[in-house]
Amino acid sequence: MSTPAQISSVPTPATRLRPRGLKDRFFANGGVGSIAVFFVFVVVLFSVATEDFLSVPNILNILRQSSPLLMVAAAMTLVITTGGIDLSVGSILALVSALCAILIQAGIPWALVVLLMLACGGLIGALQGFFVAYEGIPAFIVTLAGLSVIRGVALLTTGGYSIPIPATLSFVELGRGWFLGVPVPAIIATGIVALAFVLFTQTPFGRYVTGIGANAEAVRRAGVNTKAVTLFVYVLSGTMAALAGVVLAARLGSGSSNAGQGFELDVIAAVVLGGTSLFGGRGTMVGTVLGALTVAVIGNGLILAHLSPFLTPIVTGTIILVAIWMNFRIFRGAARKR
Amino acid sequence: MAAPIPRVRMRGISKRYGTIQTLNDVALDLAPGEVLGLVGDNGAGKSTLSKVLSGAVVPEDGTIEIDGREVRFASPADARAAHVEMVYQDLSLCDTVDVAGNLFLGREPRRRILGVSFLDKRRMRADAVAMLQRLGISVPDITVHVENLSGGQRQSIAIGRAASFDPKVLIMDEPTAALAVAEVEAVLELIRTVSARGVSVILITHRLQDLFLVCDRIQVMYEGRAIAERQIADTNVEEVVDLIVGRKFSARSARNTQAEGVAIS
Ligand SMILES: Nc1ncnc2c1ncn2[C@@H]1O[C@H](COP(=O)(O)OP(=O)(O)OP(=O)(O)O)[C@@H](O)[C@H]1O
Ligand SMILES: [Mg+2]
Repeated sequence: MSTPAQISSVPTPATRLRPRGLKDRFFANGGVGSIAVFFVFVVVLFSVATEDFLSVPNILNILRQSSPLLMVAAAMTLVITTGGIDLSVGSILALVSALCAILIQAGIPWALVVLLMLACGGLIGALQGFFVAYEGIPAFIVTLAGLSVIRGVALLTTGGYSIPIPATLSFVELGRGWFLGVPVPAIIATGIVALAFVLFTQTPFGRYVTGIGANAEAVRRAGVNTKAVTLFVYVLSGTMAALAGVVLAARLGSGSSNAGQGFELDVIAAVVLGGTSLFGGRGTMVGTVLGALTVAVIGNGLILAHLSPFLTPIVTGTIILVAIWMNFRIFRGAARKR
Repeated sequence: MAAPIPRVRMRGISKRYGTIQTLNDVALDLAPGEVLGLVGDNGAGKSTLSKVLSGAVVPEDGTIEIDGREVRFASPADARAAHVEMVYQDLSLCDTVDVAGNLFLGREPRRRILGVSFLDKRRMRADAVAMLQRLGISVPDITVHVENLSGGQRQSIAIGRAASFDPKVLIMDEPTAALAVAEVEAVLELIRTVSARGVSVILITHRLQDLFLVCDRIQVMYEGRAIAERQIADTNVEEVVDLIVGRKFSARSARNTQAEGVAIS
């Protein structure tokens, strides 16, 4: 590293530069800023509108219920940041929850079953990732096919029935248990989200994920094995979908091939609400957490408000549109569109 | 046979895109410390040829030798390992990654904690500032995303990246296209300095006057072939223009073996 020549002798244009203040930072992270505002808004709204919303049991309940969403959304953030998408996570969740119940009924030790299930999700992810990264088929197509095929396999194996898991097994603690007053699934989800945050922001891998979404060819030319990186994000989303399936089966005490219908849409909604760009190159793990919690709070709050649960998709959808619209309008100055 | 070993020796390089024979049996030689100007019409194949040397494009045919040893670049990582660096025509920057991140893309300083490698962001920023300062590139803030920089600043960063990692061969594909007068001068000066240190440079440009300021030799490409080669002392702008557009065909170029069989009316 030594190159003496000067590319320009012009003095630094420091005069034109304002120091970056809090406001600049807020706007530079426009996506996160607006979802934070939105999150606070829905929390305040339901706190005022319903009696039970802001009680400790209900908050813990929300955390328990949103943990599958959080885990998968963390991985989906990476997928979407590469410019891809994974539509198959709901189907993987269903297949895994069903297989989980079947294997446990067959008497296999549940710890082994959990490991097998995670491997199964990872393998499905790897297969899809192979078609996306190495064969160049659009992720939307590959995972749409995956969504259909994997759900079909789940239905075929169970015949459409829900398979019970004995509540006496300690396995169910994964979904129902408490640890230090906090639901076990929430602890698992927190751990996953923290790991994903570090992976995304502090490692070369995370850097390449962002880089691939911005300019995959540039990252390749920098000597990075972009195909392997791309394949791996699908392995992660498959594995996380499997983990979510295990936790869900444990919570419900059964495995069902009908679980997780539309789950992929909730996950994508959470990620996009959080400010991650569907075009790739821009992703935020903090935003995703807020997005997932917002989706969860809306579902919970509407039920507490004694409104029809059928309102949930309508409200969620509307809020997604409004949030993204706000991002485009208010925070446009921050993220320059090309 | 006392000829010195060339830094780069490319022979018979061929590459086809669909129906277009982008490169057709192209040869290229480059001595240590030599500055070669690569010129040709739009679409002549200059960028493709240099991408072959930087590993970004894998040719169907042909051989590459670096310092007399045959190499096979299956990916840009291989070329980087052989100290071939390139400034791409499209700059090859990641818009949503900061300046430091782009400078170190693919070779980030790392810290290992419990066997996992983490980005050493602090060192990356410090090194990036030092790198840019040494090159005299002024960027307001090293942590801004490069999408917020001007075209010229982006170009300077692409150049800084290629020049800073101890290259043996430095390829610059139209490095001055977006630069202001002073910056162009500085790039030419940079080429002179690195070549004086023994770095071989390939400069692709449409600014012919620049070629005469820094190049030792010029190679002309025409429709995927290397049709002529001149020592800079033996030629002038008019002749180079003729060669590029392929109209006049002077007796001199007929002597050049690479020009055989290229009959252009
Ligand atoms: N990735 C690609 N896919 C298809 N065709 C390509 C590709 N890259 C180059 N070509 C074709 O190869 C030919 C040579 O392209 P190249 O970029 O090497 O030209 P060039 O000499 O660098 O031109 P310019 O001066 O415009 O930069 C062009 O006809 C182009 O259309
Ligand atoms: Mg070109």
